[in-house]
Amino acid sequence: MAATSSLQADGDKGKSSEASSKWLNAVSDPMTNIHTFPACMALADLHGDGEYELVVGDLGPDGRQPRLKVLKGTVLRESPLPALPAAAVTFLMESHEPQTPAVAIASGPCVYMYKNLKPYFKFSLPPLPVNPLEQDVWNQAKEDQIDPLTLKEMLEGIREKAEVPLSVQSLRFLQVELSEMEAFVNQHKSKSIRRQTVITTMTTLKKNLADEDAVSCLVLGTESKELLVLDPKAFTILAKMSLPSVPVFLEVSGQFEVEFRLAAACRNGSVYMLRRDSKRPKYCIELSAQPVGLVLVHKVLVVGSNQDSLHGFTHKGKKLWTVQMPAAILAMNLLEQHSRGLQAVMAGLANREVRIYQDKALLNIIHTPEAVTSLCFGRFGREDNTLIMTTQGGGLIMKILKRTAVFGEGGGEADPLLSQPVKLNVPRKTRIYVDQTLREREAGTAMHRTFQADLYLLRLRAARAYVQALESSLSPVSVTAQEPLKLHAVVQGLGPTFKLTLHLQNTSTARPILGLVVCFLYNEVLYALPRAFFKVPLLVPGLNYPLETFVKSLSDKGISDIIKVLVLREGQSTPLLSAHINMPMSEGLAAA
Amino acid sequence: MIWSTRNSAYTFTAPEFPILEKQNWLIHLHYIRKDFEACKAVIKEQLQETQGLCEYAIYVQALILRLEGNIQESLGLFQMCAVLSPQCADNLKQVARSLFLLGKHKAAIEVYNEAAKLNQKDWEICHNLGVCYIYLKQFDKAQDQLLSALHLNRHDLTYIMLGKIFLLKGDLDKAIEIYKKAVEFSPENTELLTTLGLLYLQLGIYQKAFEHLGNTLTYDPTNHKAILAAGSMMQTHGDFDVALTKYKVAACGVTESPPLWNNIAMCFFGKKKYVAAISCLKRANYLAPLEWKILYNLGLVHLTMQQYASAFHFLSAAINFQPKMGELYMLLAVALTNLEDTENAKRAYEEAVRLDKCNPLVNLNYAVLLYNQGEKRDALAQYQEMEKKVNLLKYSSSLEFDPEMMEVAQKLGAALQVGEALVWTKPVKDPKSKHQTASTSKATCFQQPLGSNQALGQAMSSAATYGKLPSGAGGTSQLTKPPSLPLEPEPTMEAQPAEASAQTREK
Repeated sequence: MAATSSLQADGDKGKSSEASSKWLNAVSDPMTNIHTFPACMALADLHGDGEYELVVGDLGPDGRQPRLKVLKGTVLRESPLPALPAAAVTFLMESHEPQTPAVAIASGPCVYMYKNLKPYFKFSLPPLPVNPLEQDVWNQAKEDQIDPLTLKEMLEGIREKAEVPLSVQSLRFLQVELSEMEAFVNQHKSKSIRRQTVITTMTTLKKNLADEDAVSCLVLGTESKELLVLDPKAFTILAKMSLPSVPVFLEVSGQFEVEFRLAAACRNGSVYMLRRDSKRPKYCIELSAQPVGLVLVHKVLVVGSNQDSLHGFTHKGKKLWTVQMPAAILAMNLLEQHSRGLQAVMAGLANREVRIYQDKALLNIIHTPEAVTSLCFGRFGREDNTLIMTTQGGGLIMKILKRTAVFGEGGGEADPLLSQPVKLNVPRKTRIYVDQTLREREAGTAMHRTFQADLYLLRLRAARAYVQALESSLSPVSVTAQEPLKLHAVVQGLGPTFKLTLHLQNTSTARPILGLVVCFLYNEVLYALPRAFFKVPLLVPGLNYPLETFVKSLSDKGISDIIKVLVLREGQSTPLLSAHINMPMSEGLAAA
Repeated sequence: MIWSTRNSAYTFTAPEFPILEKQNWLIHLHYIRKDFEACKAVIKEQLQETQGLCEYAIYVQALILRLEGNIQESLGLFQMCAVLSPQCADNLKQVARSLFLLGKHKAAIEVYNEAAKLNQKDWEICHNLGVCYIYLKQFDKAQDQLLSALHLNRHDLTYIMLGKIFLLKGDLDKAIEIYKKAVEFSPENTELLTTLGLLYLQLGIYQKAFEHLGNTLTYDPTNHKAILAAGSMMQTHGDFDVALTKYKVAACGVTESPPLWNNIAMCFFGKKKYVAAISCLKRANYLAPLEWKILYNLGLVHLTMQQYASAFHFLSAAINFQPKMGELYMLLAVALTNLEDTENAKRAYEEAVRLDKCNPLVNLNYAVLLYNQGEKRDALAQYQEMEKKVNLLKYSSSLEFDPEMMEVAQKLGAALQVGEALVWTKPVKDPKSKHQTASTSKATCFQQPLGSNQALGQAMSSAATYGKLPSGAGGTSQLTKPPSLPLEPEPTMEAQPAEASAQTREK
């Protein structure tokens, strides 16, 4: 498929260069050093002067210097944040004039609210209930009724069974070494145990009016698998819902006091649907993959999965369509063009593309110099339709949609494979091939006969050689039923003395072989061996027996000869195995 | 800033413990974006800060390790997670998954059963249990688990696995039923559509097969499996140009598919572009040297090209891989006849007659050879054998015969003085225009024994049989150039052996 996808990409490139006229390039700065993700980007008129500003919760280049960055026109202001931002939204707190939206940054267990870009309020999540048993145990420890060892045992018991997890303090205690337990208990026993959770995601929900400038509530998703709705003025918890898993992305439509639908994509790979009166999810979509983005387009819930695909679902969790992406999805967001009533999904992909889809139809592809990790679309400055993207390396790209631009279906992609005539790569045949064909037609019979005759000759020769080898036991493997043996010989050295090693192996499965002898046949004028005849020890099946002997070359004329090795059974004259060893020339003597 | 991070850090009582889950969301974010380097950095930091207590960090680290192929290490980390929170079914599921990937299916089943105790309504557990049982060949248990998974929540994957079980059991009808339901549930899943189409093709329900394969191609015009199957069906109907355009699309995607090149070659063969056909077949043969169907086609094309020596080699190679097919021996015999090796040709015909049960051509060709050798009695026996088969075929199915074959048979009948054989009465009446359809149905008759479970094999077999079709048209042109055969004793019969040999060459 590799060839297909590359072809597709090429086809698209040509298309998009002509289609890129839909966008005007406003800003393209690779050095802005913004590292963020779609949930931490928001556009709002923070000063009420009609100039929309970009609010970014920035993680910092290595995720260590969290900052709140606000871009107005080309002016970037920043202030440090106490911890990494998990989400950033802008919302209206009250309905009276002048209406200036507040900025909310979710970070750790708190939401930090800014008004006019000045710190305004800090909301902290209420601590989670602790296990009463755990509390009891610690109370006993506090009053020195139990020693640390018993404490440990009891805590372990609670951990095994209880529904409510232990507090950090108890977990830490369970890890402490025996010697340090006493000190740990003394240090911590006076403290009340606490369980704290953190915010994982945040979004806004209109309170009672559907208007653009209506007061909104904050909706928080927490690590403790809960959803909280906060009152926009008093910051009290208006509603609490629980989920089967930790929420990652939230999408809300409707108004809190009338009716709303909430979709929460969770870490277990499912998307849960909740409604106003439900404390628990009403519908569930199981993706069998991790969701990487969640966008509500009109009434269709678009989910991006980490298996490189976009899925469309209804509010009741019925699957409508699936579109396969050419690369991994990094970021997703909504594109809403109010003037034309257009809503579409933008997806930033790992192959440095931003694709815009309306349902299944690809509307547009934007090619970027780097992979886009976060993006949002909306009013910036005084321009209604601005696309803001940040890239992997911390760059910022802004594009303005031309007012004349209309997204047409199929604008991004015509099927390149069907439209282009493809040449089939048929191997060519040479002149020689044709000549040979003609020759075969003329003299086919003769060719066939010659071939058959040669084939028979070859077979005959092979058979003769084989019979000869069998007759003289020349093969290195003996196949007789009694003595299955394998022999191979190695000659080492430069001469005049060589080392001859015979490797003898009994290849039977269970039976040892006893009573074998080895005999060397050689020209006594040329070579001298200490023993020309010796007994072989008992051969255990499977083991390799190296039998070494020295061979001295007597000739100084540089002559070499064959030494025959025979393996015999005692009392029989026909050899079981035989080997002809071509001795090398003695170089040592020549040098001397 | 007003908020300081260390409000309580300097109180002398005891240091505040960091929240364990503080950066879980960030870990997850990096993980789903497949930014594993950044993810590992955050995990390391988090684990240091919490002294290894952060369960989610360990969990994601194990997931990443598993994706990177370190299954054994990931298993250890998942087990650690299971110790940290023993009530969580998720951890157990991952432990089981790692065991499954390591091939320890029995151990995986045990852990999945543990997890099922904690969470009874999880389709994933049921589905994976089912898959484990498939690997252990306990199909009934697997079926139960997969059905209960479907009951909890319907997923394409479960349908596919369930269908696979029925295919493994050899129950095609049940498999089709399952795939039908699956297609109803997710009508755009091309894998499901293709599999269903191929199953219909296997059962010979061409209309439905074509419908489903067509649907696949509307959703994914480059799905090569569907292209190959649909193309082979078009080929069977003689639409070589349409099939070729389809194959061209597939050839861009999978350039090294032997069945694809085989089918392309047979398209060229159908269009009488023999050199191109040989080129493509040789490529297919290079890609799959042990595939007898390609060798069969190569033999066939070389016979048509009158390259009998080459044809002999390809056919004998094909016979070495597939020694149980009468037609192969018949083709070999035709090649040998043309190579003037009558003795061996006869032996090959004997073998072909022994193996073949339904093809009258085998007997007819043999009879022609025997007649040319002057062995009229044996020729007569073969001729009668052929008549038997023809009668059988006529009554068992609505087959119509190749008119050229009928002509040769009639001439031979006359020569053998059996009188005008009446076996052909029905087909002879058929007008010439039915030529194409007649050959099509003949091809389908061969398709059955050749067919295999494999989609590609299926496509291939139809091509292999198809190869014989167009030669009916091609044969006439070769009649003008009679091949070297021993001459007939009776001058009146001179035309006949040439025709017969043309016939045999085709078949």
